[in-house]
Amino acid sequence: MRNLAPPRAEASTDTRFAPARMRRTVLEMAYAGSTVHIACAFSIIELVTVLYRNHLRYPGNDPRAAGRDYLVLSKGHGVMAQYACMHELGWLDDSHIQGYFKDGSELKGLSDSRVAGLEVTSGSLGHGFSVGVGIAMGLQRKGTDQKVYAIVGDGELNEGPIWEGALVAAHHRMDNLMLIVDKNGFQAMGTTDDVLALGDLTAKFTSFGFETLEVDGHDEAAIDIAIRQLWAAGAGRPKALIARTVKGRGVPFMESDNRWHYTRLNPQTFAEAIAALGIPGASK
Amino acid sequence: MREAFSNALVRLALADPKVLLLTGDHGYALFDEFRKRCPGQYINAGIAEQNMVGMAAGLARVGFRPFVYGLAAFVPIRTVEQIKLDIAHDDLPVVLLGDGAGFVYSHLGTSHQSTEDIACTRAIPGLKVLSPADRFEMTASMDYAYSVNGPVYLRMGKSDRGDVHTGPINSFSSGQLLKVRRGKVDLPGLIATGSMVSTAVDIAQELDLSVWSAPMVKPLLKDDVCAAASGSNGLVTLEEHSVLGGLGAAVTEITSEHHPTRVLRLGVPDRFSEYCGTHAYLLREHGLDIETVRNRISEFSRTVALGAHSVASS
Repeated sequence: MRNLAPPRAEASTDTRFAPARMRRTVLEMAYAGSTVHIACAFSIIELVTVLYRNHLRYPGNDPRAAGRDYLVLSKGHGVMAQYACMHELGWLDDSHIQGYFKDGSELKGLSDSRVAGLEVTSGSLGHGFSVGVGIAMGLQRKGTDQKVYAIVGDGELNEGPIWEGALVAAHHRMDNLMLIVDKNGFQAMGTTDDVLALGDLTAKFTSFGFETLEVDGHDEAAIDIAIRQLWAAGAGRPKALIARTVKGRGVPFMESDNRWHYTRLNPQTFAEAIAALGIPGASK
Repeated sequence: MREAFSNALVRLALADPKVLLLTGDHGYALFDEFRKRCPGQYINAGIAEQNMVGMAAGLARVGFRPFVYGLAAFVPIRTVEQIKLDIAHDDLPVVLLGDGAGFVYSHLGTSHQSTEDIACTRAIPGLKVLSPADRFEMTASMDYAYSVNGPVYLRMGKSDRGDVHTGPINSFSSGQLLKVRRGKVDLPGLIATGSMVSTAVDIAQELDLSVWSAPMVKPLLKDDVCAAASGSNGLVTLEEHSVLGGLGAAVTEITSEHHPTRVLRLGVPDRFSEYCGTHAYLLREHGLDIETVRNRISEFSRTVALGAHSVASS
């Protein structure tokens, strides 16, 4: 094991991006739009919470600020989690949430780069990471301290361009790039072990030349520490954070039940899911 | 023509440090000058074209001007989805350079031949498609591709067919046909692109036909095509590309709607190469050698003339 900088969790008084409230936003969107991919969003809620609250810099709270950090959601299926963050930031308002999927709406069911706040058009998997590698290369050439985070699904790791990009990132010593794997163990048709086994991801990315850490992807403090450790360690090496997550996390009847990749909410399941979040006064 | 390409690339890169050349481990001798003069702007992205094109999108997002080079069989064909989603969807200023288009790699077989690249790229919204015929069109195309500040596919085919134009092209505008030769108005006019312009000129000199070169297949100016149609008796399109979806399709899309005209589309039939051989051999295999093309144009010319006669006499 490499010696990493000692953990230094930073207490935050920022009440934005509370995971339960973000999950409620996702449920409200999904219910309003009768959409799928709820479980894909729930597995990355804590990851995006920590990124937006503690790490991503948007000068002037401008999603298109030239000096921003970049969050590339390569697994575009989790986009409702990012919408929830954008709602917390005031980039989206309640009408976006309640009007999700209405005819003529701007917010799509997968990440679309034309929406301010989203950096890539993804959902066709294996695209976003390569774009993120290009952004990181560009920022590196410019000599800025901006960072690029790319969230990929573990199922998405089936895609070849991810590994092409990993080679390039290591070869060009992109230490401004962090790949975050949402390792929820499922892909569309089953578990990742059953469909196409990924093996030891930490060993794989380490062997590719990445500074790699594994973390409980629902433990905010642990995620925060791991991200800080990765940035502090291994100059000249890209970073990989392998986040062990639970697909559908937060609503017990959705957890690790792959039907919630595809299932739409009805009035009853919506009410049950909201209740399961345990938010006082959230009984609508 | 390849020297014109290299010179233009070096000139653009020296003038603008944001210009980057990305190659998928191709262009061995072609980029010697570029690597010597602009070493910091040269990126060999490895034999990983999909990632390379996605990466070019990322570089363009933060202000760079990537030129992405590959064989046309790989850029654009292998990477059509990256071009569509990562580049064209956001109108990013990336120039895609597809070399060896058509049957340049005549001995290597289907994997390195590319006769579907115009069709695939032409349907991608906002993507411009260039197909220069000689060194003068190449220089103008490269300057245009840089100046347009949006997504461009530049197709480079067989490059040793000699000059079509007599000198530099000063008025190169979007979608225009370049008049190469004026012939008889009661005979078919030829509209050709890339390597086939030279063939068109050779035949036109024998038969006294008009020839236009189409250095840009998309966009293609409606008025120019209609003017060519009205200045000829029928049109023949020539391209080292499938008869489906390329220049012939682009021309007939315009004429069928705006200027009904008989159009003979000469290109690669809807099939793969069966054998290998010289470039000239493969043109023969696909009916694009000068004898076959001349015969088909003559036959078309007679048919069109008869058609006109039968209409006139009815």
